[in-house]
Amino acid sequence: MTGLDDPILPTSIAWGLLAAFSVLWVVLGWWLGRHNKTAEDHMLAGRNVGLALATATAMATWVTANTTMTAPQLALQLGVWGMLGYSLGALGLILFAPLARRIRELMPAGFTSGDFIRLRYGKFTWRVFLVVSLIYAFGWLVSMAMAGGVLINALAGIDYRVGMTVILTVCVLYTLLGGLRAVIGTDFIQTVIIIAGAAFIAWLTIDKVGFEAIHFNLMEERPELLNLLFPAAIMFLFNNLLFGVGEIFHSNVWWSRAFAFGRNVGFRAYLFGGLLWLPIPIVAGFIALATPALGINVPAADMVGPLVAAEVLGLTGAIVVFIVVFAALASSLDSLLAATSDLVTRDIYRGHIRPHASEQHQFRATKVIVVLLGLVTWLAASYRGELPIVGSLAELLYFTGAFVASAIWPIVAGLYWQRANPQGAAWSMILGSGIGLASYFLIGFYVAALVGAAVSLAVMVLSTWLMPRPFDWGRLARPDGEVPA
Amino acid sequence: MTISTTALSVIVIIATLVATLTPILLIALFIRDWKKGCLW
Repeated sequence: MTGLDDPILPTSIAWGLLAAFSVLWVVLGWWLGRHNKTAEDHMLAGRNVGLALATATAMATWVTANTTMTAPQLALQLGVWGMLGYSLGALGLILFAPLARRIRELMPAGFTSGDFIRLRYGKFTWRVFLVVSLIYAFGWLVSMAMAGGVLINALAGIDYRVGMTVILTVCVLYTLLGGLRAVIGTDFIQTVIIIAGAAFIAWLTIDKVGFEAIHFNLMEERPELLNLLFPAAIMFLFNNLLFGVGEIFHSNVWWSRAFAFGRNVGFRAYLFGGLLWLPIPIVAGFIALATPALGINVPAADMVGPLVAAEVLGLTGAIVVFIVVFAALASSLDSLLAATSDLVTRDIYRGHIRPHASEQHQFRATKVIVVLLGLVTWLAASYRGELPIVGSLAELLYFTGAFVASAIWPIVAGLYWQRANPQGAAWSMILGSGIGLASYFLIGFYVAALVGAAVSLAVMVLSTWLMPRPFDWGRLARPDGEVPA
Repeated sequence: MTISTTALSVIVIIATLVATLTPILLIALFIRDWKKGCLW
């Protein structure tokens, strides 16, 4: 029987895998980015990414360590709805598909989501948006780095800070060397590894345990997991849906890809990416339902995936899980590092500190900012680096739910409503975040995103209805053009 | 209301089949884009 006290993978094998994949990602990142000459090359990979790489990067970035580790945990805690609810996170990608096309049409020379908010709504709303967006981006970065250290420790017994430092350093290095081209190129390989690994473990679990045994043992020991009217699970489903949509609609991780994908590629890439992502939480999560049939004692719910894989497959399963988790962590961390450094370079450094910075100056600045972001993330993750913080990772993510959900409607209205009110957009984010956070503390974590989105929608609709402000769409085509105050 | 063995197995097998085919589809798309010179 496997338990958390015994790492499922021998440390020497884990070090070998870490070293091999670290070298692969860094060399590939350098090779892919060796022709980058301008900030545009580095930040947007030449603005002509094709369908294969675009689809894979959309999928890889959305498959985080949460997907591979939390989907089994949710299946174990919330049953069938846990894995189905998690898979609805794909709706965020699917719904972003038409937005990606609209973004590319309206802003053929755009760089960041901040560019859009600045040109569309003016400086006040832009600054409010930057606060919301950077709080979320930094929260996600730190939680990913922490998850890296925690998972590597749990899987292989490598010290938390050592594991976290290795994965963060590797991602900073190849993002620094190759920019978005390195991120997208490595994402392709990481996507193939993650999905093939998850499917491999699922097929072997089906083969070795079987649905009859899984169903029978669940009915005997945990019948609520098969209940389709499990109230907590249904509530989770709606919160997760809104949270995912908010994350994708506002974050520069997804906007930078909309700018980078070739013409007519963005819509199809996000649509295919979402549809192909949909089954992944089911495949990764279902194996947790086999725990009663396998007689596994699960000491920590978030480790159920690796425990089942190790029980069914032995050392091979442990190796596959380790590689999948490393790929999932890297594919999200690199995207966040690249997109956040772009946002800081364009909207903070150039937007507020050096407005006349040249292309070359921005090219150098974005590299310095990637390193600084890595350092700050490392410091924050080190400070919080005690193993019992696993619970607070989820709390941190739910906390940002109010922020991201309050940004959904200003983004949608800004892209499609010609008369959307700029002040209304700012206040919809301020009030949505504020009241969403209040509900997080007063009612519970599961309503933060829901309340944030509802308040934001009400403010956006009312302000636009009472004080409409016509907008010239042509202004968005010139990212360095005149900005409303 | 409990999900049946058949319904559970249908959902999981369809999801696993799609996941199994996805890497093949992505590699096929990659080769197509590469041959057409539109990878980047």
